[in-house]
Amino acid sequence: MTLRLQPVQVATGSYDVDGQLVFADGFLTAVLVKLSGYHDDMAGMWFLEAGFGWVDTPTRPTFADLDAAQTWIEERLTCAA
Amino acid sequence: MSSAPDLHATNRLIRKLESIASLSEAERQAIESLPVRIHKLNVRQDIVRDGDKPSHCCLIIDGWACRYKLLSQGKRQILSFHVPGDILDLQSLHVPTMDHSVGTLTKATVAFIPHESLRELTAHHSGIAAIFWRDTLIDAGIFREWLVSMGRRSAFEHVAHLFCELYLKLQAVGLAGNYRCPLPVTQADLADALGLTPVHINRVLQEMRGKTLITLRSSTLVIEAWNELLRVSEFDPTYLQLEKRATG
Repeated sequence: MTLRLQPVQVATGSYDVDGQLVFADGFLTAVLVKLSGYHDDMAGMWFLEAGFGWVDTPTRPTFADLDAAQTWIEERLTCAA
Repeated sequence: MSSAPDLHATNRLIRKLESIASLSEAERQAIESLPVRIHKLNVRQDIVRDGDKPSHCCLIIDGWACRYKLLSQGKRQILSFHVPGDILDLQSLHVPTMDHSVGTLTKATVAFIPHESLRELTAHHSGIAAIFWRDTLIDAGIFREWLVSMGRRSAFEHVAHLFCELYLKLQAVGLAGNYRCPLPVTQADLADALGLTPVHINRVLQEMRGKTLITLRSSTLVIEAWNELLRVSEFDPTYLQLEKRATG
């Protein structure tokens, strides 16, 4: 499986607008958003704004960086496969 | 430590019960003479755990607590918030095995009341038994409203609805007024209660502040626009069944 990132602006209705679309083998599988300075100790972290299929979860996690986010997404997709 | 009457503790309970029903003088006196055992608890301390068979009920005197369920990987769903005057596990009087846990959210002082004493109290005072029943029925009404919010309200509406509910509950027992109430819980607690993420809670709070609906500082919630908060969350206080309907 190959993950590919594509920068995107996301209308979250907040100051968190810088995002990345995450494609797995060409399919959109998640939207990650970088948390703005308004999130105090979580500022700069990446939030799973949306996940599709096996990446969808009600307890959407926050990641220290994009690598950690991609590892988590890969694990979810591998478990499903 | 043995159980003994404690007026401060039982007055909390009386105040709570009088917020949802009327008590006669004899009933008040009977509650005042309930033996209790006082405990001081730390923040995030379990009081009763899923599967336990408690032999007493737990009344909160100071601080906040919650009922919750734990899933794997530490996922927690908070089922209800509880404030001074609430008996957290009244159902344990008739349903012996706990199907959820109860723990503090803040430092707290609680009073344990032996089941035996509560059984004796309700056997001699059918009016108190009816009020305890009413209290658990109101709890069920609150759970229904939470379910509606969880399934059908947006994050913004859901937080607004919770704030209206907490304010009125606290006001009814004399712990809030002038659209100001304590809110000593973290954003993570709110997220676990509302089925949202801390990120969403933070965004909603920012938006509410931006619209001058609330201010939140030093664990105090100030509702700046009560009517607007009621309107956006479609809040109808009927389910709280409060004796004296709040006006402010």
